[in-house]
Amino acid sequence: MIRAGLAVYGLLLRAMPTGFRKEFGTTARADLGRMLDRAATTDEEHVPVVAAKACWDLMSRLPAEWWAHARRPRRFDAGRREHLELGRWERMMNWMKEMRLAARTLARKPGFTVVSVLTLALGIGANVAIFAIVNAVLLEPLQFEESEKIVEVRHHAPGLGFDDLQNSAGTLAFWRENADFYEVMAAFQQRWANLTGSDEAARVSVIGATPEIFQVLRTQPMMGRPFNEGDVLPDQPTVALLAYDSWRSRFGSDPGIVGSTIRLDGRPMEVIGVMPESFAFPDDDAEIFAPRYVDPDGPFGTFGLGVVARLQPDVTVDAAQRRSDEMMTRLPEFFPDLQAEFLERAGFTVSVGTLRDRMVADVEAILWILLGTVVFVLLIAAANVANLFLVRAESRQKEMAVRAAMGAGRRGVATSFLSESLLLGLAGGAAGILVARAGIPLLLSLGEVPRAANVSLDGSVLALAGLLSVGVGIVFGAFPMTRYAGDRLAGILRDGSRGSTAGRERHRARNVLVATQLAMALVLLVGSGLMLRSFAQLRAVELGFEPEGVLAVGMNRTSGEDPMVAARFFQDAADRLASLPGVAQVGIATGIPLAGGNVNGGSFYIESRPRQDESNELPPTAMYRAVGSDYFTSIGMELLEGRAMERADWEEQRAVVWVNETFARTHLGGTALGERIAWNVGEDQPQDSTRWAEVVGVVADVREFGLDNDDRRPNAYFPLVPGGGAAIELQSAWLTVSMAPGQDPASVAPAARTELRALDPTMPVSTVETMEQVVATEMEAVSATMIILAIATGMALFLGAIGLAGVISYVMGQRIREIGVRVALGATRGDVTRMILRQSLTVTVVGMLVGLGGAFGLTRLMGALLFEVSATDPLTFAVAPVVLVAVSLLATWLPVRRATRVDPTVALRAE
Amino acid sequence: MTDDTTPSAMKRHWFHILVALADEARHGYAIREDVRQRTDGAVELYPATLYGSIRDLTEGGLIEPLEGEDDPDDDQRRRYYRLTQAGREALRKEVARLQGILDDARRTRALGSA
Repeated sequence: MIRAGLAVYGLLLRAMPTGFRKEFGTTARADLGRMLDRAATTDEEHVPVVAAKACWDLMSRLPAEWWAHARRPRRFDAGRREHLELGRWERMMNWMKEMRLAARTLARKPGFTVVSVLTLALGIGANVAIFAIVNAVLLEPLQFEESEKIVEVRHHAPGLGFDDLQNSAGTLAFWRENADFYEVMAAFQQRWANLTGSDEAARVSVIGATPEIFQVLRTQPMMGRPFNEGDVLPDQPTVALLAYDSWRSRFGSDPGIVGSTIRLDGRPMEVIGVMPESFAFPDDDAEIFAPRYVDPDGPFGTFGLGVVARLQPDVTVDAAQRRSDEMMTRLPEFFPDLQAEFLERAGFTVSVGTLRDRMVADVEAILWILLGTVVFVLLIAAANVANLFLVRAESRQKEMAVRAAMGAGRRGVATSFLSESLLLGLAGGAAGILVARAGIPLLLSLGEVPRAANVSLDGSVLALAGLLSVGVGIVFGAFPMTRYAGDRLAGILRDGSRGSTAGRERHRARNVLVATQLAMALVLLVGSGLMLRSFAQLRAVELGFEPEGVLAVGMNRTSGEDPMVAARFFQDAADRLASLPGVAQVGIATGIPLAGGNVNGGSFYIESRPRQDESNELPPTAMYRAVGSDYFTSIGMELLEGRAMERADWEEQRAVVWVNETFARTHLGGTALGERIAWNVGEDQPQDSTRWAEVVGVVADVREFGLDNDDRRPNAYFPLVPGGGAAIELQSAWLTVSMAPGQDPASVAPAARTELRALDPTMPVSTVETMEQVVATEMEAVSATMIILAIATGMALFLGAIGLAGVISYVMGQRIREIGVRVALGATRGDVTRMILRQSLTVTVVGMLVGLGGAFGLTRLMGALLFEVSATDPLTFAVAPVVLVAVSLLATWLPVRRATRVDPTVALRAE
Repeated sequence: MTDDTTPSAMKRHWFHILVALADEARHGYAIREDVRQRTDGAVELYPATLYGSIRDLTEGGLIEPLEGEDDPDDDQRRRYYRLTQAGREALRKEVARLQGILDDARRTRALGSA
């Protein structure tokens, strides 16, 4: 470890000017050796940390040392004293002069300049854009005071099929009673409601929260007052706070809003305040905050409450997690009805995580991977420009040598290289900021990103852009400078025009650059190949329904309505849409696959299999929903057994139910028809025959919860108004509009809205989207990552190919006389081609091997994003190198074609 | 940095190096250790910064190398440095400047009555 640290340090030392290296190099390394030895024997610090800090120290010192080096003339230089005595002003003027000269030189080579600046702009722009998002979403603390002390508490019961449960009134009471490591705890729950009283009826997200929320988040309304204990009533809340955005957009920033009345689901509520602009909880969508009553003696049973808490000042998140784990054993004492054995079977646990982590959990991995990707792109871009620079530096060797001979000195040559590359870097950075400005909205539109509203090109992002520009400028400016400034120039003058033998070493530098580029391009190629495979696997998932040609329309009624009235309304709406041209049929469902909606669920009973021993067996659970007669056919769900649903089933409130394949197989032994099942049956009345519903059909399984969620769960479908088995509230429902063959479902959307508005102008239509869009949204994380990786890979390959082509054609140019001689002596076109191909393939294969190694190590980090594809997927790892080789052959072929056409007489005459 | 008219702050690393050399001549590693111990590890001079600063200070004439002394517990030949007259003067000025700031602060009772 120590030796590795010293070796890296030694390598970095080479980047220092020779003067520093000669004078202090050995001592500096010896010092570091002593420091590392000490770190290894004591435990004050770790060896890698010390080594990393020393390396960082060296790198941050580089600019100062080169600056000092450039200012310091060589020993015995007569100009030394004079130079030291130049005032700051003159020195600045000198630099300005150099910059102007550099600008003129670059302007004379517009091709080189434009290509370099564009390449850098893309590389820097991509980094700035992704960093702006990473910074705002992952790095910036939440907009709450001491936000790192805010945690979210969740429960998990994998044994019951609930990997992510939230809290119940009971668990909240339990933690409030026991967890002394929380300063304060608050519960909240999101729901949707119809807002009237503003410009237009709208479906809005309402957060009901206990009043402690203001202490947990340490936030106060911007105007008005927060709600307090006095506002919390066991029935409906009567006061509300508005989010800043809805105050502005729905109420026109009305300064007199406090005290006015709005209606939520028809119930009047007094507006008591407006939250500040920066307030976003639990996400950007929340529009209305209302007090919520949580029964302090509530049962353990009903989960669905979010709980946030503020840690005591001296308690860490880990400590809170640990002590929560310990306290879980006290649950059965707290809830006398709860059996410890039940908890164990359910795998019931608690998890405590910071609110920030929970908010960004979905995108964290993706964003870091994207940042890594664009860093690669920038490195490749910088390598390309360095390569161009190197070529150009060589073509200017003579000019530089002459300048040096006439007394320009190392300093002058160095300065002119540096000022040109710095200028290019800065121009690339400035253009990169424009690229980032245009790119950020595009990136954010690819998928749902939490905290997206915070993303901006702020100071730290611009600082990064500046740092990248200067850094890139210095690196590729220093590259040719160290090689060609100073002593070597004399050799170049002596060499005369014997260009054909010179520069084996120079080729090596360029070959290394290109091999590195190709290696990095291959890593990206493998990464995007894996994403492509994941995407293909997602597309191939058996959905269990047909999303093509189906439009989903979400509708909402006010809560508490008579189910029969609501059902008639939804059926009316469905009939109206069914009469639109191009529509084949329209189904109704309280919940549709992947888009959510109201799905009820819980433990159920089977009449023919009464439970034996309640305490020893977990009751089976299943989800159910209400659907209209045409639902199954409208979304292409297959009826496997039994009869189709009819309108009369709900009109006459028949006690019938349809179940899915999994339900029939796991709970009814495969012979489902005729069995009677029921939810919501009280313990006291399991024999009440009016509660049962008879299974009259079996339908195919459908992916309900996500494409990547393969746990097939039992599902049941009741008529809109069931005659038994369960009670379902029809507050909101989806219409599934199935189009006649060849008709575009999106085309009917405007007409559908008009029809529904005509039916009931006060009813907001929440969503109108095609089922294909719903499915696409599910694939968003994978498809967005795939698109960005693919773009990055395309850029990387393209830049890598340009780099390779550049090297090959440069080498060709150098060897043109040699080739001419060979052709004159009888070498065939094939011989020449083979000779060049060998060189190109050597570079490619070296890059390929390094790249494969890198990909093997790095793609493991992508595990979380991949779907049914291994991070070391053999197919991807086999195909990617083939693509790379193909691209590099193409990049070789173009210059080779030119070379093989060399007319020997012309080539030799060039001498 | 030896400008007499403007009492501007001295670079922090320079100050610590000068203080380390105030009592006796030391070599680079000893300077680093002295600074580390005196500041309870708050100031860590890593080699590049340390020798870069030593070079700057030497060129500025504030310190000078002392040839030919060996560190008994090190087999490396190490170069020792000591303060020059100008260095001592610069250090004195910097301390006076810091003292002045401190006095100011005390007068405004920012640090409580002293």
